[in-house]
Amino acid sequence: MDSRTPSIACIGVIGRSNNPLHISLFAASGPGYESERNKLEYSFMLNSCLDIFEARMPAKTVGHDFGLLHALDERTAMYGWVTNTGVKLVIVVDMEGRPASTTGPGKAAVLGLKDRDLTPAFQALQTAYIHLLRNPFYTPDDHDPRRAKGAASLQINSPRFTKEVERIGNAWYPGIISL
Amino acid sequence: MSRPVPSPPAQPDSLLAASTLDFLLIELVPLAQRIAEQHAARDRAQREDYARSQIFHDQPVQTPSAAAASKPAADTLSVGGAPTDNTTAAGGAGDVEEENRDAVFWRLDGMGYRVGQGLVERFSAGRPRPQTPLDSIKFVCKDLWPLLFRKQIDNLKTNHRGVFVLTDQRFQPISRVSVDRKAGVKAGEDTLSRAQAYLYFPCGIIRGALAGLGMDVTVHADSSEIPAATFQIKTRGAKA
Repeated sequence: MDSRTPSIACIGVIGRSNNPLHISLFAASGPGYESERNKLEYSFMLNSCLDIFEARMPAKTVGHDFGLLHALDERTAMYGWVTNTGVKLVIVVDMEGRPASTTGPGKAAVLGLKDRDLTPAFQALQTAYIHLLRNPFYTPDDHDPRRAKGAASLQINSPRFTKEVERIGNAWYPGIISL
Repeated sequence: MSRPVPSPPAQPDSLLAASTLDFLLIELVPLAQRIAEQHAARDRAQREDYARSQIFHDQPVQTPSAAAASKPAADTLSVGGAPTDNTTAAGGAGDVEEENRDAVFWRLDGMGYRVGQGLVERFSAGRPRPQTPLDSIKFVCKDLWPLLFRKQIDNLKTNHRGVFVLTDQRFQPISRVSVDRKAGVKAGEDTLSRAQAYLYFPCGIIRGALAGLGMDVTVHADSSEIPAATFQIKTRGAKA
């Protein structure tokens, strides 16, 4: 079997009231791994993180990086980050997401994953969210179930934000310095 | 005291950025007032039209003078429920002014709210997470205030039951307002009531920033002496 390296399988942005704001899925690549990711399955995974955030929140007084939330099986692990405004960012990592390239960035053999490997991705995501808040066409209250009026979708529909999340998900590899 | 010294990092770009808020406010407040007046005028016109059409449909044969006399009656007759026009019926100029002030407040507060939400997202990144409501208020006083108004808040009082009072002895947006001291008490009061409008936008910013940090509050601003301003922050559900 070819050696495989970790890649991001899913990025979830979850609002203050635990409402999903945005979910992006990233298919694995390489022969034998082409199956599409199931959106429902990943929604459940993101849901399962919320309790862990809640449980760790009182004990964690400094920092935003919640590190490894839990590992579902040998392949899937979830990492979390909370902004001061209560927005939760979750990255699901597929440990066998792409074939290990012999050239180019990220070729170093990876044994396990450190928490800080995800930090650049989280920082880039937070920056993307901050940029979203600076978009005059985005009204945060329309995306909060406690304040939103009407039955419109609460999901973020800014193309720029979506594109940026896609870029982060595809560009990340273990050991990347900045995104 | 001579001219106030600009804030320590006196680079041209930071000075410009700090002044933009002042200039924005100068433009924003009259704009909001104009919009509110226009809206009120349009509302009034529409209500009058509506009342007239009611009269036309209900009592087709009527002399103009009788129509004018029965206008309040027509208002109460309207089943669809156009709110009775107390501004034209009562004719109170004070009411109109009050209504306009509320509209201006609502508009500026809403704008500030959105700005506050954006600001808190941007500037709370990389700071310790506030644990208690008091921490959030302190964030506003110590981090947000210098960014917006070039100084920290002077005084913070709380009753520890959800009410916070912030006092700024020299509040930037109204620090340039001049009062004609020779003209007596009346002029002072007049200036105060006009300067009041410039506190609405900062009110909204505080409300938005705290909403971003997860606090549901109402903010009320007051000024008793020109360069000073007090902001009373009440968390939802707090008493007194």
